[in-house]
Amino acid sequence: MMAPMELIIELILMPLVAFVVGMMMVLMMRRIAAKLQRRIGPPFFQPLYDIVKLHSKQTQISHGLIHDIGIVMAMGGYIAAETLLPVPGMTGIAEKGGIITLLYLMMIPSLGLALGVGQCANPNGSIGIARALTAMLAYDIPLVIVIFGVAYAAGTTNLVDIIAVQQAGGFETWGAVQMPVLAIAGLIAMHASLGKQPFEIYIAPAEIATGPMVEMSGKYLGGLFVMQCFQLYTTSVLYVSLFLGGGTTWFDFLLKSFLVLAIPVSIAYLFPRYRTEDLLRLMWKWPVMLGLIGVAFVL
Amino acid sequence: MTLTPLDELLLFSGVTVLVAMLLGRRLPAGWMVTILYGIQLLALMKMAPLGYGGEAISSALTFKVMGQTLSWRFDALSWYFALITLGSALLSSWYACGEWEQRFRQSGGNLWLFHFAMTLNVFSMLILLASGDLLSLFIGWELVSWAGFLLMAMAGGVATKAAMRYITYAMAGAMAIFGGIALVYVSAGSLQYEAILTAASQMSTAHLWMLVILFGAGFGIKMGLMPFHLWQAPAYAETPGPGSAFLGAISSRMGLFAILLVLVKLFGIVNIDSLKIPFTLIDARDLLAWIAVFTIIFPTFTAMKQNDARQLLAWHGIGQGGYMLLGLVVADAMGAAGGLLHVFNHATYQAALFMAVTAVIHRTGTADLNKLGGLVVRMPLTFMVLLVGIIGLAGLPPMNGFVSKWLVYRSLLNEGMPLLFVAAVIGTLGTILSVYKLIHNIFLGQLRVEHDKVKEAPWSMMIPMLILAAIIFITGLLPGIPLAWVASVQQAVGLPVPDYTLGGVESASGSLDMIWVIGVLFAGFGIGALIFYFAGGRSKRVHQLDNYAGGHFLTADVRYQYSDNFYAGLMHLIGGWYRGSFLWLEQSVKSLVEFLSLGMQGLYRRANAEFYLLSTALFVIAWVVI
Repeated sequence: MMAPMELIIELILMPLVAFVVGMMMVLMMRRIAAKLQRRIGPPFFQPLYDIVKLHSKQTQISHGLIHDIGIVMAMGGYIAAETLLPVPGMTGIAEKGGIITLLYLMMIPSLGLALGVGQCANPNGSIGIARALTAMLAYDIPLVIVIFGVAYAAGTTNLVDIIAVQQAGGFETWGAVQMPVLAIAGLIAMHASLGKQPFEIYIAPAEIATGPMVEMSGKYLGGLFVMQCFQLYTTSVLYVSLFLGGGTTWFDFLLKSFLVLAIPVSIAYLFPRYRTEDLLRLMWKWPVMLGLIGVAFVL
Repeated sequence: MTLTPLDELLLFSGVTVLVAMLLGRRLPAGWMVTILYGIQLLALMKMAPLGYGGEAISSALTFKVMGQTLSWRFDALSWYFALITLGSALLSSWYACGEWEQRFRQSGGNLWLFHFAMTLNVFSMLILLASGDLLSLFIGWELVSWAGFLLMAMAGGVATKAAMRYITYAMAGAMAIFGGIALVYVSAGSLQYEAILTAASQMSTAHLWMLVILFGAGFGIKMGLMPFHLWQAPAYAETPGPGSAFLGAISSRMGLFAILLVLVKLFGIVNIDSLKIPFTLIDARDLLAWIAVFTIIFPTFTAMKQNDARQLLAWHGIGQGGYMLLGLVVADAMGAAGGLLHVFNHATYQAALFMAVTAVIHRTGTADLNKLGGLVVRMPLTFMVLLVGIIGLAGLPPMNGFVSKWLVYRSLLNEGMPLLFVAAVIGTLGTILSVYKLIHNIFLGQLRVEHDKVKEAPWSMMIPMLILAAIIFITGLLPGIPLAWVASVQQAVGLPVPDYTLGGVESASGSLDMIWVIGVLFAGFGIGALIFYFAGGRSKRVHQLDNYAGGHFLTADVRYQYSDNFYAGLMHLIGGWYRGSFLWLEQSVKSLVEFLSLGMQGLYRRANAEFYLLSTALFVIAWVVI
């Protein structure tokens, strides 16, 4: 049993670390995009500048209380989710929820965003949400197959134990080495869950005027920016915990997380956008097939 | 003869029926009936030890009919289902009192019939739940079927048609059950539970197969299991508002109760497990599990395509029944607990959702999802109730639906059933899509001009809804409260019991503590709110027409709402998969029956004596020779 004071400090520190690392991940994403497009890219503190700028804008348009609450839920859901995601030296309440709970908590921000966008009374936003939910239906199916495989192989849904099992025998017991097929399927599903090209069907600036973001200004957009930081962090750390043995030290933990994220981000800027039904078809064919093969190996 | 607590409960319930029948035409009838439901609930509370592992309580009343003893008794299983029945009856009836009642009467509804049908439903359900042998079970089953028909048919028109369809299915199911009971009587020589329990272990495989099919189909029809699900959605959706809240909450769970009693408790899930299907790798239990999973997926995706809010909810009601059966069929400690807990959870949020939608109909006159929108600014409390309800229905934290689904998922994971697990998750994802469409098209988006003066639902309707919303949240925060009842049900039917705590479940392979999860979630919301409200600039509220429209100006007559064909992209891919195969199947059975009856009719209308004589003679000769 942990001392309560220690636990409270962990619960405060974990989201804070996630936020800072998440901002650096946004920076990395932008730098990679710049490299690919032969630009210099933004300075180191640009994500922070952006968040401060957006929050301090003079024009802040609200479409009603649910619009506000949606943004609060989008940020708050991720802040809560971070406490279920173990990092080196800190486990928070990971043992009281487990991987399934984490997966469902990660849907709360999307639900909040969906509610907030809905109240904006803009069809572009609503179409964006309809597409985002469809995308979720597409990538969550391979994702849960992957999570089933990992949890079944480890014999537990407790993330702390899943990481411990992988660290027990060094590199050979990593999820990615033990279950390479599942790791590939997971990577594809993870890429789609980030909503980056070619899977950015719900942003689609040329079609639906950036979808959910169409009525977001000032701190509303700032809130979504914060949410994106958390999203990048959560997705990559989850992948590292499931397949790359988590982190023993902060150095290798962060190294793995950034490297994992660099893969989909590098791919993203080379592609245009799929249509919604093509995304569904792609997700339900390849990663699902790989995932099921992977699970068959595990069983 | 001394009255046991069970007799008191049934007596109060009977009195309620009488009161509704005799005094139902007077205006305060609704309140009287509601108070009487409250008294019934108190009588049930006198038997509360049952919910915590107490001894079964028998009724003092027994009959002897043709050598068969008819008896009634309550155990943990009956008590748990009775609690849900009476709770939903009390709140639905309360909801109906006051403004809804007046409007219903003004629009030509028969209030007397409504109260009478409701009380009769509750009474017959209690009789069914109290059955102490297969014969009394069958009597209760028939009573429930016909009482349900009365409530479903009363609105007339489309409702009567849907109810006729229901009663056709129900009668077919009753035949199957009756056949099963006859078969049991032949092999066990008695209809008493104890005798069947001992006989079940010695039954031959073929015999047990027959019984599983007959009882499974008979009870499955009431639950709306595939492929017998077609009747349910239209029948529930067309019932007058509070009636559909009550039916949606508990009515089809009577099928689950009977499955639990007969297939799980009497025949034993282990016996069923030994029934292999020849030439395949699956057994009867896998078959049931797959039926459950298809019952989750198909109705859920049908719900997504509905344009009427009540139809949408009713279709989801069928789908959620699949989770309950799935958990029970897996039958380990967590799965069975999840399935049983879902009965309670489903009743709470389904009733709340039907009530919220009925409140919207009460104020706007429509449940058409293409004719609403933006009502959150006019009916914020109803919005909140609907939001709590859909989070429960979709099974997301922090509401109670999450806990029961989590338990079902965990059991599938523990038992290593990846395909069932994925299928269950697909159902949940489909539900999320569908319920977002529901809340978006009613409450979000653009407020229509004609709804500008709409008011919040009246308090007589609001209070029961808020109570339900509170129950949904509290049992999500403290699932240990219903899990205690569920654990004693599991003991009563001979299933393993999970290691539960107030906040969830303890397990070596991953625990759940909702108190912490929800605590952290709300702390997260708090921090989010601090950042949003204090770290940012002041926001300005604008009119809904002050909106991006690609360079155009919006005016009040411009409809600026996305509602129809909500998941267009998804439907591009899966739209072609909706083939209406089950409707086709139903139609072909109907045509076959019509064809046969036409043939039969032709035969006797002819009144051709020679032909009858000839055919009879031929038949007799054939029989003698062979």
